[in-house]
Amino acid sequence: MATLKAIRRRISSVKSTQQITRAMKLVAAARLRRAQEALLAARPYHEALRRVASSTLFAERAALGAPEGASPVSLILVIASDRGLCGGYNANLIRKAEEEARRIRGAGLEPAFFAVGRKAADHFKRVKAPLAGESINNVPRLATFALARALATRALTDFRSGKIREAGMVYSQFRSALSQRPVYERLLPIVAPEADETDAAAVDRYLVEPSRTELMPVVLRRYVEASIFHALLEGEASEHGARMTAMDSATNNASEMIESLTLEMNRARQATITKELMDIVGGAEALRG
Amino acid sequence: MAHEFVMRLITPTGVMFDGPVREVDAVNPIGEFGVLADHVDYITALSPGILTITRPDGARNQFLVSGGLAEVKDGAMTVLADEAETPRVVDEAELAAAMQRAEEALAAISLYDVAYAEAAEDVARLRARIRASEMARNPASS
Repeated sequence: MATLKAIRRRISSVKSTQQITRAMKLVAAARLRRAQEALLAARPYHEALRRVASSTLFAERAALGAPEGASPVSLILVIASDRGLCGGYNANLIRKAEEEARRIRGAGLEPAFFAVGRKAADHFKRVKAPLAGESINNVPRLATFALARALATRALTDFRSGKIREAGMVYSQFRSALSQRPVYERLLPIVAPEADETDAAAVDRYLVEPSRTELMPVVLRRYVEASIFHALLEGEASEHGARMTAMDSATNNASEMIESLTLEMNRARQATITKELMDIVGGAEALRG
Repeated sequence: MAHEFVMRLITPTGVMFDGPVREVDAVNPIGEFGVLADHVDYITALSPGILTITRPDGARNQFLVSGGLAEVKDGAMTVLADEAETPRVVDEAELAAAMQRAEEALAAISLYDVAYAEAAEDVARLRARIRASEMARNPASS
């Protein structure tokens, strides 16, 4: 049996770990709330942009394909996190990305990863996967429009210059603090949403300036930027949700561990006391004898 | 008054303005344009510049927008700006220096490069920013 002193030391170490996990849980909860607010604040922009896109961009489906002669490469933006201690968040994303890479290979294209977040970048480097680029931000807020714009510019430039034939992204969809689901979404060539409101009559009603064809690249860029921004926001909320849940169960586990260690400690102490008593009684008996 | 309409100014990070207005003036690639009530359904690109909202009581709100899209549909206007902020006085010397850097960067890029349009837009954004600062410093000139 472990000595009393060793058990005491373990209890105090678990206690300080628990303090850290509890603090991390609280921080994650606060950040999650902020991330959810940002997600909500971005919604009106999204909806309005989708409407404008369906009356301009998606009305010209013929022009939306990849340029001819593009290399058979499919770029996958993997939106993960810079920091760990968030349960299976990054592992799930990476698994999904590799699954998509196999699907892409099956379709005759060569996948190339673009890692957002250090955890994804480290992983792809370790397994020597084709890494087209990485973006490690180390900032408290991942989902900034500036980052979305930089990623969109990269994807669009590669697409226009024929370096890639398609681009997509793997990110985590935020459903609740308990549930985040990694999803793949194609970015380029652009996928028009279900033909709901894109009826030709409504499209022709608009006066468009400068002209529809001049407006299309403007809308396209905004659309790609907004899609990436949305993925970043979802990812950020998911990360904090995952961390909150992971740190909550870590805190609970620590409590359980402290409980069982305390029990063990008491038992050890009791054993010592009993042993000492026996010695005293034995000594007294011997004297009397 | 019947001559007002609803206008929303939205950026990716939130709604900046939402309410009844009498007139909206902004800049698109063709020039300046204004929207009044009962405007025809309309979609246009926004150039970097000043967006002026005149409220029904005649009071004005001004925003510096860095580009985006505007839509009028069924009499309501929606402006999708990449960024929108209230014009304020900034360090113009610093802006001028940034402007010079942006212009040099633009001059160094081939006209055929895909990055050219991006660099040209940087210059236009800075120009709008300088104009906004001048306006904030001297409100009478707007």
